[in-house]
Amino acid sequence: MTDAFPIQIPDRLPVHIDPCPVVQAIFETRFVSPQPWATMPGLLFAQIREKYPEQKTLPMAQLPEELRRQDPALLILPLIQFLSDNFLIQLGPRVVSLVTKPNAYPGWSAIAQELKWLLKRLKAAGFVGETERLSSRYIDFFGGDIFTALRLGLQINDQPLRGTQTDVTTILRRGALSIRLQVTNGAIVAAKDGPASGSVLDIDAWFGPLDVDFFGNGLDRFAEAHHAIKGLFFGLIKPELLSKLNPTYE
Amino acid sequence: MTTLSLPTKSPSYTLAEGLREPAAASTVRRGAPDEWAREELLLRKLGRKGWGRVYQFRNYYESDWGEGGRVMSPRALDAFLRFLEETTFPAGKNTPSVFLTDRGGIELCWEDPSGKSVQVEFTGTGAEFYNAATDEEGTVAFDGLAQLSQRLSA
Repeated sequence: MTDAFPIQIPDRLPVHIDPCPVVQAIFETRFVSPQPWATMPGLLFAQIREKYPEQKTLPMAQLPEELRRQDPALLILPLIQFLSDNFLIQLGPRVVSLVTKPNAYPGWSAIAQELKWLLKRLKAAGFVGETERLSSRYIDFFGGDIFTALRLGLQINDQPLRGTQTDVTTILRRGALSIRLQVTNGAIVAAKDGPASGSVLDIDAWFGPLDVDFFGNGLDRFAEAHHAIKGLFFGLIKPELLSKLNPTYE
Repeated sequence: MTTLSLPTKSPSYTLAEGLREPAAASTVRRGAPDEWAREELLLRKLGRKGWGRVYQFRNYYESDWGEGGRVMSPRALDAFLRFLEETTFPAGKNTPSVFLTDRGGIELCWEDPSGKSVQVEFTGTGAEFYNAATDEEGTVAFDGLAQLSQRLSA
């Protein structure tokens, strides 16, 4: 394996694209807490109720705790959601996240503003201890087969594999960031006009515990991860797809 | 992961049927992509027992375990894994042992080639060590872990 980053990031990135392919963006912190789970929803709700008056228990909450412990992937899932007009806040015993409403990406500046507000409220709630992982994740949807429009694909006998259902997941490292890149041309997404089949580009970029202090550099880290994902996106797509997205530059 | 198939939340997308994972097989546990490297490291360096103990500490020991014990510090775990990656343990000795400490640290103990004990406790701020062969003890910050590993390696 080589240390060189395999994707060339363009020097100049668009500030806006239309149509926007983002289905959902998720800004998540995993943490450990000195508080028991039972007290956390109440502590958070007391801080955010004016903006997030509605709450919804997620199906995972019905699963016995003992079962959830048996699978680390279940342990870090949220159990409850708080809803506002533009965002969701999701909370679990080891995770809290800010999530954009499906197919309604509000833009980075609105997200940064909401994250700043949420961090203050979480600090006041007082249950977030040491940070385990902080991530930004973007899920983009495209009609058709995205592999023809990406500088990434699967090969057999040195020939690109085309016309078959394919799902590729890889982990990349870039400085302190770890990046999980998942691309599939066999996805079903709840789009604005109902379920749609096509391709998904799912990029999750995160910092580990030694590189994050949630209430110290948390906002900066979210922004860095967001910027890395943006660079990766524009580094991965071919010019033909970029032109269809009608990019505008500063 | 393949161990449970209960609905967890409304996903942003689902994979077409042909791309979904087949039903779980009891002999296979696929690690989450970002967890695979650390699980492989734990198994390689500490064996099945050590891997299992770290899994237990991480997933089953909540705040206030035992008598006021703290939950395992993610920073301590990360430092422990970095140290483990760098360190060579003596061949022919027992596999190193691992413990969760009351303050949420993780302690690693092993025998040097002469059978003397070496202990390192990783905490949220760095690591504390004791080398019985030299009667040396001390504290290092996270950026001193690679150097400590070199000093204590077989």
